[in-house]
Formats: sequence, C-alpha cells, structure tokens
Amino acid sequence: MARGNHEVLATLEQIVGADFVSNEEANLQPYTWDMTWAEPRMPDYVVMPKTVTEVQRILRLANHRKIPVIPYTNGTNIGGLCVPEEGGIIIDLKRMDQILNIDPETCYAVIEPGVSHAAFSAALKATNPQWKGQEFSKGFDFGWGVHPASASVLAMAINHGIGHLNGRIGVNSQLLTGMEVVLPTAEVCKLGSCAYSDSWHSFLPLPRMDGLFTGWLGTTGIVTKLGVWIFPIRPYRDVLSVSAASAEDITKYMVHWRHYSLCDEVTAVSWWLAQIPIVFPYHDKPKDAPEFYSYSVITGWSQEELDYKRKIWKQVVDQEKAKGTKLFDFEYPPEAKRGRTELPSRIVGSTKNYSKSCGGGIAWPGTFAPCKSWPILYEKWKEIYIRHGLSPATRFTDYQGAHYGMLRCMTPFNKRDPASVQAARDAMVECVRAGIPEGMLPYKPPVEYQNELNAVADAGYLYLETKIKDMLDPNNIMNPGKLGIR
Amino acid sequence: MSHLLKNKNLEVAKIYDYVSMCTHCGNCKYGYEYGSENNFAAMLCVQGDKFNFDSYRGSRGKVSLARSLMHNRIGFSDAVAHVLFTCTSCGACQQMCETDIKPYILRMFEALRADAWKQNVKIPANIKAWSDTIGKNYNPYKEKHEKRLDWIPSSIKSSLPKKAEYIYFVGCTASYRQKEVAIATAKMLQKLKVDFTIVDDEWCCASPLLRTGQYDIAKDFVEHNSALPDKYKASAFITTCSGCYRTLSRDYKMDAPEGYADKYGKNLPNTKVIHTTQLVDEMLKKGEIEFTGKFAQKVTYHDPCHLGRHAEVYDAPRNILKKVPGLEFVEMYRNQKFSFCCGAGGGVRGGFADYSLETAAKRVKEAESTGAQVLTSACPFCYTNLHDAIEMNKSPLKFEDIVQIIEPIVKRK
Repeated sequence: MARGNHEVLATLEQIVGADFVSNEEANLQPYTWDMTWAEPRMPDYVVMPKTVTEVQRILRLANHRKIPVIPYTNGTNIGGLCVPEEGGIIIDLKRMDQILNIDPETCYAVIEPGVSHAAFSAALKATNPQWKGQEFSKGFDFGWGVHPASASVLAMAINHGIGHLNGRIGVNSQLLTGMEVVLPTAEVCKLGSCAYSDSWHSFLPLPRMDGLFTGWLGTTGIVTKLGVWIFPIRPYRDVLSVSAASAEDITKYMVHWRHYSLCDEVTAVSWWLAQIPIVFPYHDKPKDAPEFYSYSVITGWSQEELDYKRKIWKQVVDQEKAKGTKLFDFEYPPEAKRGRTELPSRIVGSTKNYSKSCGGGIAWPGTFAPCKSWPILYEKWKEIYIRHGLSPATRFTDYQGAHYGMLRCMTPFNKRDPASVQAARDAMVECVRAGIPEGMLPYKPPVEYQNELNAVADAGYLYLETKIKDMLDPNNIMNPGKLGIR
Repeated sequence: MSHLLKNKNLEVAKIYDYVSMCTHCGNCKYGYEYGSENNFAAMLCVQGDKFNFDSYRGSRGKVSLARSLMHNRIGFSDAVAHVLFTCTSCGACQQMCETDIKPYILRMFEALRADAWKQNVKIPANIKAWSDTIGKNYNPYKEKHEKRLDWIPSSIKSSLPKKAEYIYFVGCTASYRQKEVAIATAKMLQKLKVDFTIVDDEWCCASPLLRTGQYDIAKDFVEHNSALPDKYKASAFITTCSGCYRTLSRDYKMDAPEGYADKYGKNLPNTKVIHTTQLVDEMLKKGEIEFTGKFAQKVTYHDPCHLGRHAEVYDAPRNILKKVPGLEFVEMYRNQKFSFCCGAGGGVRGGFADYSLETAAKRVKEAESTGAQVLTSACPFCYTNLHDAIEMNKSPLKFEDIVQIIEPIVKRK
C-alpha cells in the first residue's frame, strides 16, 4: 500500500533518484516506532539523500508544501524522537556516511550524519596522533557511549549523548568544534571556525550558534557535517570498583573521588541494574546485597600514572570508610571490565540485558541532575517504581567534575501487555515530575517529558525557545510536536 | 494500543513471543567488534547494502515488518514480498544480534515467506517456476531427475559399491551445474579410501524450499532423504555443498529454532552429517593422509554462509588450506562470522539474478583486494555466483572449490 501523493513522490525521486525514495508502507513501517512506548505513527515518505544539495532540495520542497520532515539516522535514541507525530517525510541520512577528515595534528574529525560509531571507532583507531609526520602514540578516542555500534555519532552528539570520557571531558555535545547545517528554509550555514576557513577546530571565540541545533531534537534544522574533538588513546587503563549500602553512601564517595578529576568516568548502578538481565518485574534484592555498585575507569600514559591514580582512589575510599560511609570492596566482573577498557564495546553497548524477560520495550527517565539530588531522587524514584511493579534500575554518572551528572532508570517493559506499557509510562512521567524541582532535566525527552517540563518552565525561557523555533522554522516543518511548543 | 497480536493465523505468529523480544536496537544493521589492535567495522547485510531502506537492513527491519503484519497495521503487498525475498538469509544480522530473538531470526524470515506464499503477492517468477516443478524433478534446476548422476565418470561409477559407510550427498548444484566439483569430490574420496557410495534416488535436500518458506513441499523431501541411510546401510552423509550440510545436519535433526524437527520430526538421529572440509581436516589431523604436491598460489577463502554462520564451521577449511604445500593463504577483511555473503542464498540467485551477481561482484572485489590469485570456497552454490561474477567482471581471479585445490595433490598414507 502506498501513501502520500504522486506529485511529491515524483519530486523526491527527481531529487535523489527513484531507488532512494519510497512511499510504500512496507518500507515506511520501520520508521513508525522505536524501543519506547511511543505509539507507532506512519510517515508518508522515506527519502535517503546523499549530498547536502539533496537535503536542501528536500527541505525546500517540504517547506514550500508545509510537509513535516523528520531527520533520522538509526532510530535508537530511546526517546521516540524520530517517530513522525504528524506523518510527513523521514529523511534517512544513512547514505551520508563519510568521515570527511581526521586531522591527527589538530586532533579533530569531521563527519557526516550517517557515520556509525563502528566506522568512526575503526577509523580513529587506525589514525595516530602526530605532528608533521612524527607519531606520538597509537590511535584516537572519542566519547563512546552505551549504544549499538550502528548508532550515529553525529545524532548522538548533537542530542547530548554521553560517552566514556564524560568524567574527564564532559558529554559528547561538549566535544563539538564545527557544524554545517541546512535550515528548514533550505539555506546552508557553517558554524564555528569552518565558517571562515577549512579548519574545523573550534566554535570559540565566536557566538555559540551551534546551540541553536544541539539539544533541539531535530526541530531546527538538519546537521549535515559535524566537527568533533578526538583524543589520543591512553594505553594504560584500569577499572576500580566499590559498592555501597545506599544511594547516599555511593554519592558521597563519587563526589569525593571526582573532586580530584583523575578518572575518565565514574558511574554507579543500583543492584537491579547490575543484574543480567535487569530484574523485570520487580522483586526485592537480597538483604545482604549492596544497594549500589560503582566502577571508575582510570587511564594513563604510564604504569606510574595509573598507580598514582589508584593510590589517590584508595585514599578516598579509606577516608570515606573512616567517616562512616558504608562502602564495601567488590571485584568488577572480568567480562564487564573488558567492556569498559576495550572501547567502544559491544558488551557495554548491547541491549542483551534488557530483553530477556520482557517484551522488547525499553525506555528511561534519562536526566541530567545535580549530584546532590541523586540520593534524594533515587529514594523517590524507587518508591514510584516499586509501586508500579518495576525495578529501580538506576544509574548515576558524573559529568566532568562533580557539578552534575546523569540520573536515569533503565526500564524494560512488555510491549505486548497494555498494562505493562501504561505502568512503565506512568512511572517514568511521575519520576520526571518529581525530579524537576530538584534540578533534574530529561535529555532526549519523549513528548510526555517535554509537556512536564513546559508546564513548569520559566515563561521567558519558553518565549525565547518559541521565538527561535519560529524564526528558524516558520512553517514548523521540522520534527513537529517534539518540543511541546508548536 | 498497537503492539497486540491481531493476525494470529500467520505462520510467523507462532513465534510471536520471540519476535517481540527484539528491542529495535539496531545492532543487527552493521558488523562490528572491538579488538586490541583495530576494531572491525563493516557492512555485512547484503540486502541493506543494496536497498538501503531500514526495512531491508538487518533483522530489525524484518522484525518491524513482521510486527506490523501481526499487529494488522499493514497488509501483505508486492513491496512486502520484495523485502522478504531479497534477503539472502546469510545470517549476518543474527550474528550481530544480542537479544533473545537471536536464535529465531532466520526462522522468522522463513515463516514470513511461508505467509507470503499464501497471499496474492508477487513471488519472484523464477522461484515460482522451480517451485512448480521441484515436486516432479526433485531439483530446483528443472532438470530431469534421471539425469542426476550423469556427471559421474564411468571409472568412478563402476567402482561405487551398492552399500557403504558413507553416502556422498552430492546436492543439486554439483549434480547439474558445477559437475567438476562433484567429480573432484568423488575422486578425492576414492583417493582417501573412504568407503562411500552415490545414490540415484537422492532428492534435493530441501534447502531452497525451507529457505523460501515452502514448508508443505519440503516435507516429502525431508522424509525421502531421511530414509536413505537405512536403505543403503550408511552411517553418515558427506556433503560438499554447504546448503545440503546445513539442511541435513540442522533442519532435519534439530528442533526450532535451529531446525525443523518440530514440523517434520527428528530425522537422521543415527546418521552423522559431515562436510568434506571436516572430513579432510580430521584425516590430516590424524595423520592418515598427506599432500604429495604443491599448490603454489596465493589463495583467499570465502566462508559460505550455510557452512560458516549457520553451522559455525570456520576452522576446518582454513586448517586444510594452511597445510597445502606452497599455498599462501590470505584472509579477506570480512571473514568467518563477519563474512560477506556471495549473494546467492535464500532463493535470491533464482529470484533476483542481477542483484545476486552484483553482490557477488562486491565479494570478488574484496577478494581481489587481498592480492590473491585464487578465490576458493566450500560450496557449489557460492561457486556458481562467485565464478559468474569473476567472469562477468573480467576479474583476474580464478575460482576453485577447495576440493578442486586439494584433490590432485592429496593421498592416503
């Protein structure tokens, strides 16, 4: 069965070629849903451009005819971001898959939206940091997150995805250096140093206009090129682990340890998240089991550097124990350790933990929150989750220096059971509602979370957000419905 | 609520619980593994590589299609049939999957095709054509069954016993198309002093039928072939064809999801199924056979999907090639569990010859990039596609089945 109309289809075929457009439901259906509870919505067309010019022409057509456009790379955002709320054109960007440049001297790369983490990691590993041909070390790193290898580096970065360097450097959207974007009205703009030369090294000291396209969930334009910082791989790595009796105890330890800025990542997971698979539906943890387990990745250029970091970490743990913080030693499982040190990892990025006992549904209240709110919100969330028959499979991860970090609760649910879907959705929305007053903000938020945010947002913030959206996208064609303001 | 099973009569609905386990993560869409030196990263899905849309890429697209059909959100159409029948069933997406649907992925593809046959949709004409005649000819090539053994040289024919320990299950492709592979295999088995015979009532193993979802027709074939070992007092089948190997060793013997014992009963319970590469590898390891000459060429090996990912036989052919005097063995970038299909399987060579050969040409290019002079494999069906692609693209490579490489220079000690 075909959808849409022939005229639009014919124009899209003229733009990209008939092989790369479809309005057949057979080809549209994979774009109707994702892992989350989002109800399937059928687009009318899927189109796969190869060039920036093609993207421009598609947007010009869509803007002229006021057809919604949904940018898409892999559809694995766990937020329903690519589900076409109002139908329209899915722009599947996977054919724009070129790594355009890896500069091993200035340490940045320029990529297209279809570049996967798999392809990018392989290319970076094969490139050595150097100066005028003189190599310093082997391979480059980027912030490798918890996601399938097919996921888009660009899409993840512009939506504030996290990577394994988040403790050292911050979230991946903090690693951006340049951007090329096609506006909804089809103009192409370069942002950052690349607007003035071929160098894609930095946005600074210019006005940060990239902020108009990061965290906007594809509602303001289509990013067609992205510059990102890359970092030499440090050859020495280790994982340090400790468990704790409570969220309060683990947070005390994490904040103290992060004070020294010596690790690439420090993360804690609740007992329920540490189980494989995640416990679904909820049951109590064993009485003697710790409430939280933490791992911290340290890296260095020598064994001495690693030993020094391990020594300071041991001091922190000992000092916390002496203060009465209930910390316990535990050995990080070797398989998991391999996943943390040989990156990016399929083990870390897998979803095998999430499907064992449920019916394929996964979502989360994924949020950025100040560290001091972690234990407060964990106790609130735990009560909410248990009340809905769900496990509080919670994760805390520090972002660059104990200011704030990730607070999220990985939530499997059974898509085949409407009651299970409803329970998960209700629990997660309730968690978001409880968290906002404590400083918590959802990232890659589903529409339901946006509505919660908008209900309590500063009026001036919403005014400016709406004004910017209207200015950039006067016909509201870009991923409409996702911000809850248009 | 759109995630409820509504179309309960579909064949694929029988495994709905497993299809529901897919989390839509997309691991299946791309080949990847980290390593201490370099991370492996490459496109493995031949169908996705060609047709690009998510519906074609990896198992996620087909799971999504299966769900949409079961949820009654879309109906069967020619476009649905195209998605279903252009998959080569190579198993790369299954290799990458880490969720609980993993073992059921190929079964799901076949169940969906079984459903498509019952609908008024466009089944590829060539598949339809051989489907109409296979019940009479017992092969998908529309050749006469009586000609099945025409390939056998008289010197071999005269020495074949009526009954033997092994039945060389030749398969349709080697019997009717790549006859030189069958001849080389029979000669080799004689040289190795293997007690074998070749039977004139061998039927198609049913691989093309099962892979394309023709469950009802397949039943007779499974039952017929399963009776052969008892009839000829044989304890094992030897195959050179990877498709036959996969079908006899798994589909006949094993329960779902690996096989079809749930549909046809547990067949061949006391019959071993051995691929020629396994036989030779084992004999080399035991020191029973030796090479008497050289094969002084640079050789790369293509893993047949049915022998590799489907049955996890990766080492045996490599062990052999590495022991052949003078042979320099080189790997392609995509190898073993991360191999790239030749493009012939799943009914694709018959149904979509151009696309099939285009895929084979990609594989041939990859083989060329190794600097090899010879591309080898262990399957007459891969032989057909890769050999044709070499010829059509005027590649400098030469294709030889692994049996053709070793037969002239191997002997029993």
